[in-house]
Amino acid sequence: MSDQEDVVVKKEKKCIENIDENDEEPDDVDFKDSGKISSLKALGPFIAGKENSRNTVYLSDVPDICKDKPCMLGVDEAGRGPVLGPMVYGISYCPLESNKALEDLGCADSKQLTEGKRDIIFNDINTKEYATSCVGWAVEIISPNTISTSMYRRSKCSLNEVSMDSAMGLIQQAIDAGVNIAEVYVDTVGPPEKYQEKLLKRFPSFKITVAKKADSTYPIVSAASICAKVTRDHALKVWSFPEGLVIKDNEFGSGYPGDPVTRRFLTEYIDLVFGFPRLVRFSWSTAENALADKAYDMEFDEPDSEKPKYAGTKLTKFFKGTTKSGEIIREECRFFKQRHLESVMEF
Amino acid sequence: MSITLDFNGKNFAKGKNLDVHYLPAKIDGDGEANVKNYFNNYTREATEFGTGILTNALRGFPLMGEKLKVPEGYCGLVLQETEKPISDTSDRKLRLTGVFQDFTYWNYDKVPSNGDPYRQALPLPDVAQALSQPISEEDLEKEIARNKENVKEST
Repeated sequence: MSDQEDVVVKKEKKCIENIDENDEEPDDVDFKDSGKISSLKALGPFIAGKENSRNTVYLSDVPDICKDKPCMLGVDEAGRGPVLGPMVYGISYCPLESNKALEDLGCADSKQLTEGKRDIIFNDINTKEYATSCVGWAVEIISPNTISTSMYRRSKCSLNEVSMDSAMGLIQQAIDAGVNIAEVYVDTVGPPEKYQEKLLKRFPSFKITVAKKADSTYPIVSAASICAKVTRDHALKVWSFPEGLVIKDNEFGSGYPGDPVTRRFLTEYIDLVFGFPRLVRFSWSTAENALADKAYDMEFDEPDSEKPKYAGTKLTKFFKGTTKSGEIIREECRFFKQRHLESVMEF
Repeated sequence: MSITLDFNGKNFAKGKNLDVHYLPAKIDGDGEANVKNYFNNYTREATEFGTGILTNALRGFPLMGEKLKVPEGYCGLVLQETEKPISDTSDRKLRLTGVFQDFTYWNYDKVPSNGDPYRQALPLPDVAQALSQPISEEDLEKEIARNKENVKEST
C-alpha cells in the first residue's frame, strides 16, 4: 500500500509543478484539516479519505454573490460508459452576468480539453480570486458498487434513473445551501424532452434547458463537466482496494470496455466466487460476459420484473405429472417446497 | 457404501468457531473463497431498515441480512471430506472441521422478516420431534385406555 501512495504522491507533484509555472503565488493552504477542496492537490486526499463502496457528495463554499444575484447552474457527468470506477455527477453555478469569469477560466473554449488543461482549470476555479468569488461547484461520486446494486435490484433501477436522481439531488443541495438559482442547463441523459419535463416537475420556478452536447454550448455546463471529469480522474488515481489487491491505476487503464488494458484487467483479476473487486460495475455486459467465461455460475431469484404474471391455474397442471405408463409423478409437498427443504440423498 | 462421521467430544471442542453466511444464491462451484477480503470487508449496518440489519453485495446483487442464532437445542457443524471416494460404492469419511453457534442470514434485496423461507422452516425441528420421538409403553397404555373409553361412550 505504501508503494501505491508513493506513486500517487509523485504524480500529484508532477501536476503541481505544471500548475506552479502558471501560478504567481505559492499554495500553502492546509487542506487535510478542513475537509475542504481548496485546490487541485487537495482533491485526491479528500477522495482517498472517503469510502469508495459508497457515494460521496462534496459541495464547495457558496460565494456570497451567488446567494444575492440570480444564477445559472450547469449539470454534467463523467464516467457514464466505463465498466470500471465511479460515475461522477457535477454541477457548477455562477451569477448570470459572470460569463467573463467562465471565459477567463477557459470554459468557453470550444476545443476538446486535455486532462492536463482540465486540471489547470479545476485548480483555477478553486484558487483564483476572480473565480472563487463568483463560481461554486459540487459533485457526487457514485460508487461502482452503488451502480451495480441499483441495476440489480428486484425492482430494477436503470442508470438513467441513478443519473437523474443524482443531478436533482445536487441541485436540491445547492438550493439548500442558499444558491439563488434562476436558470439550469443540463447535458441530456436519455430523451431531452422527458428529462426536462422531470426537472420542471421538481423545480417548477427555474428556466430549464436540457440539450445534447450542452458542455460545448454552455460554458457553465463545461465548468460542471470539468469538475466531474477531474474528480473521476482523481478517484481512480487514489483508488484503494479493500480486497487487498495492490494495483496501480495505469494497470487497469481508462476503464472503458474498448480499452485493451481494461480488458486484460478484467481477465486477470477474476475471483472464482466473488467475481471482481468492487471497482468493477458488475451489471455491465462486459463484466457479465467475463464472469460467464471464467468464474463459477451464480444464480439469484428472478427480479420482480421477470416473474410471470398470475393467470389462474393452468389446465395442463392436471396432466403434466403423468408419464406414458399413466403413473402420476408426485410433487413435493408445498410446506417443504416453500421452505426450500428437501431430502438429501447425494452430496 | 457407508458414511462415517468422525467427530467426538475432543474434536467437537477443538473445532474452529466459524463465520458462516447463508447466501440467497446458488453457486455452481466448490473451492476456497476469499470471504474476508471480498465480502466481510464490505458488510455495513443499515439502521434505516431496523436494528441489526446489515447490507452487502454479492457480484453486484444487493443483499440485506442479519445475524441469527442456530435454533436452541441444535448446533451447527461443518463436515469436510478429505479423501475423494474411489467409486460410488466406496466408504466415505467426513471429518469435523468447524462449529458455529450463529450465522449471518442474507436476503436478495429484501429486509429479513418472518416471511423468509428460512424463518418459515424453523418450526420443522418441532414437527420432526413430534413425528419421530419414541413412544413409551406408558403413553401407549394410556392411549389404549382412552380408546376403550371412547368405545364405551359411543355404544
